[in-house]
Amino acid sequence: MTYWAWWLSALALASVPIAHWLLLNRTLAVSGRYTALVDRIRYGAPETLEGVDQAALIAALRAETEAALGPEAFDELDELDEVEAALPIRAPDGPLMHLLFLGGLAVGGLLSMLAAGSLHFSTSLRGEHFAALLSQLPLPMPLWLVLGGVFVGFGTRMAAGCTSGHGLCGVSQFQPGSLVATAAFFVAGIATSFALSVLP
Amino acid sequence: MNAKVGTALLGVLMGVVLSRIGFSSWDEVHAMFTLSDWRMSLAFAGAVVVLILSWALIARFIPSRTNFRSRTLHPGTLAGGALFGIGWALTGACPSIAVVQLGEGQLAAVWTVLGIFGGNWLYAVVHARFFRWDTGSCLDE
Repeated sequence: MTYWAWWLSALALASVPIAHWLLLNRTLAVSGRYTALVDRIRYGAPETLEGVDQAALIAALRAETEAALGPEAFDELDELDEVEAALPIRAPDGPLMHLLFLGGLAVGGLLSMLAAGSLHFSTSLRGEHFAALLSQLPLPMPLWLVLGGVFVGFGTRMAAGCTSGHGLCGVSQFQPGSLVATAAFFVAGIATSFALSVLP
Repeated sequence: MNAKVGTALLGVLMGVVLSRIGFSSWDEVHAMFTLSDWRMSLAFAGAVVVLILSWALIARFIPSRTNFRSRTLHPGTLAGGALFGIGWALTGACPSIAVVQLGEGQLAAVWTVLGIFGGNWLYAVVHARFFRWDTGSCLDE
């Protein structure tokens, strides 16, 4: 399969976070979807306010607020309303949405291969260099990929983001955490790949 | 647009794009990281430039849509990023790419996907036990 030229790749790659932001009202952040799925399994479905008397809830919250902060706390309510109007407060995506997105990624890979006429199933990963690496690996291939995957999952959750959320979105918005995380994963990726390429 | 359809379609778009750029190929990722082929690095850098311009345009014409999520530094940022970089170089996959590879018929990527879920889970346990800083991950979308 011939890959796209760098400039076409750049335009296509940039279109994904923009469409995600404008159409879905969410920042593209794929490792966050893994985190949400893992936490859903760990903790089960979150509690909802369904069946709760909303008016009674608000009255109770107001009473507590007044008790803690005094009646002048409500002077700022107008300002708060403005802030709230500016923030699109939405419930986080549920597990179905995360699975739909990840499923979409797989379908995208399938369609790309079908369109290129190069779909074939393999129990390995494609590539001559990967095949060459496999012959020198100290570990069986599945173990190698699981171990590498653990690095990816552990690291992206620790850094609270991956290539999409930090690398594309955060860097282009000059977010300090994203600049550091992205520099870190590129430098570590380069160091690791050079180390692999000098394997005996 | 229906949110479920939209989310699935965005996934399909991203899958096709990553596949056509070559990000789902272990060899292409290796060539990028060993600096023997700059095409994908340029694609990434170019995308960041296009995004900088796009966010500026959005700020200019749709000012209500600039409430971007802030991503501050925390103690896990540097180490987490570095660990992810190691994993990316070993497997040729970031969290999206592993799933794209699977869809392309590179069935070994199922091991990578399992590893990513396992590593994510492992970090959650380790974080709760040893690290207590705020990663902002409760805001993850």
